[in-house]
Amino acid sequence: MPLRRKFADLLALGFAGAATVFGLTWLVWILWTTLVEGGAALSPVLFREMTPPPGESGGLLNAFYGSAVMVLLALLIGTPLGIAAGTYLAEHGRYSRLAATVGFINDILLSAPSIVIGLFAYELVVRPSGQFSGLAGALALAMILLPIVVRTTNESLRLVPNTMREAAFALGVPRWRVTARILYKSALAGIVTGVLLGLARIAGETAPLLFTALNNQFWSASLLEPLANVPVVIFQYAMSPYDQWHELAWAGALVLTAFVLGLNLLVRFFARGANK
Amino acid sequence: MIEILERDQLAAHTADVPPKIDIRHVEFFYGKTQALKSVDLAVPANAVTAIIGPSGCGKSTLLRAINRIYELYPDQRATGEILIDGRNVLDRRYSLSALRRCVGMVFQKPTPFSTSIRNNVAFALSYFERLSRGELADRVEQALRQAALWDEVKDKLGDSALSLSGGQQQRLCIARTLAVRPEIILLDEPTSALDPISTARIEELIHELRRQFTIVIVTHNMQQAARVSQRTAFFHLGELIEVGDTTQIFTNPHVGRTQDYITGRYG
Repeated sequence: MPLRRKFADLLALGFAGAATVFGLTWLVWILWTTLVEGGAALSPVLFREMTPPPGESGGLLNAFYGSAVMVLLALLIGTPLGIAAGTYLAEHGRYSRLAATVGFINDILLSAPSIVIGLFAYELVVRPSGQFSGLAGALALAMILLPIVVRTTNESLRLVPNTMREAAFALGVPRWRVTARILYKSALAGIVTGVLLGLARIAGETAPLLFTALNNQFWSASLLEPLANVPVVIFQYAMSPYDQWHELAWAGALVLTAFVLGLNLLVRFFARGANK
Repeated sequence: MIEILERDQLAAHTADVPPKIDIRHVEFFYGKTQALKSVDLAVPANAVTAIIGPSGCGKSTLLRAINRIYELYPDQRATGEILIDGRNVLDRRYSLSALRRCVGMVFQKPTPFSTSIRNNVAFALSYFERLSRGELADRVEQALRQAALWDEVKDKLGDSALSLSGGQQQRLCIARTLAVRPEIILLDEPTSALDPISTARIEELIHELRRQFTIVIVTHNMQQAARVSQRTAFFHLGELIEVGDTTQIFTNPHVGRTQDYITGRYG
């Protein structure tokens, strides 16, 4: 009997270990390849020059700029809206049927394929204006960010114990002030975590930008024109037959990966603050 | 000796002075469950009234009805009248903000807000009154002194309130309540989460505060009720069984159930 148990134990451990190795192998492989290929192509030129025509050398400056602008704009739109909606769900509408319904729809939106959101932004902005634009891209990204922020704000606020709410309301202070001064402070780490996770998510989104910002070979600071961005450049350059473009795609992938990794580390940092 | 004198004076008092809080036929419901059954209770001003009784008897529920904190939960409701200085505060038209400013509440578990000690005290104060920086600082100090916490925190007002000990946190909650100058203070088992030394400090504090405020304290601890209160009300299964001067309730209860509880036959 003990022998059988020992055997079962070994078998289970073996399977668990193999599954872990299997999962991690791909991750490490991807990271390693990105690091090696992207590292080789990494140079200051990347951040100084524009995307080149085929056969010439260049950088990704316009793509970095476009991505930064769109992500930032999406953040500016999505964060306040998301926090406001999450606050409604958790506080004002806590016991209402409307809030329960909105929360449910938000969860659906959370798992909506990003390409669908890209198409939606296309119909909403690109078609009426007859122009692919950075603005449309930012809107699409904001729509992906929004439900993430709504969800995490809602959940972080619900984690604030009711005793805290009662104590604050018992002082006679109205709801908006209790929320702004007391509840947000307690839920801050959770909300920031949500925003950062959302940021990491939209930084790498390609599909919604294909239909909205498209891409731009040249420098353009206008939000009303097609705007270069890292994910679409990677997509296009990786598919191209040119070696120089391949290198740039790797470099862009590396920078993007490093950015997302950095954000995730930041999230862990904030999450630890929340547990204190 | 002085204690007893005070109590006798108080007993003489209660007959002709109108009560600070007059609870009339109050019933309370959690959804369909009835938690209070037609409670009538007069709470005298500038005295400590203790509410005792076994768990689930409706003690805390009664406190939560007085400042209408139960309204945070849509399935809870109270009927009847609670008159404070003659006005029915259960009336929907009675301003919640005014009511809660007048009726402070301290809860079982200390609930410091996750901000500085100073901001904890200033939070409600700066909402109700337009004060200059200096005035605000004075009022914060005053409240902390009243709550017997000033000497322990005066050098670290900017520190997080969460860094204080449990007993200090509870006194901070009292200071926070006192800062807006209420007339009534509701204490819901304020020492049940504290060690004996902190408990003793809070009891001393209650003794001090009685001169200025009308205090209602819910407690599980009968010795505490006997120590801090002048009047005691005994609740059982949502009903007020007996109310009277604390000495009388503890030495010569008129109702059998009160006696059984006080002598520890159930609880």
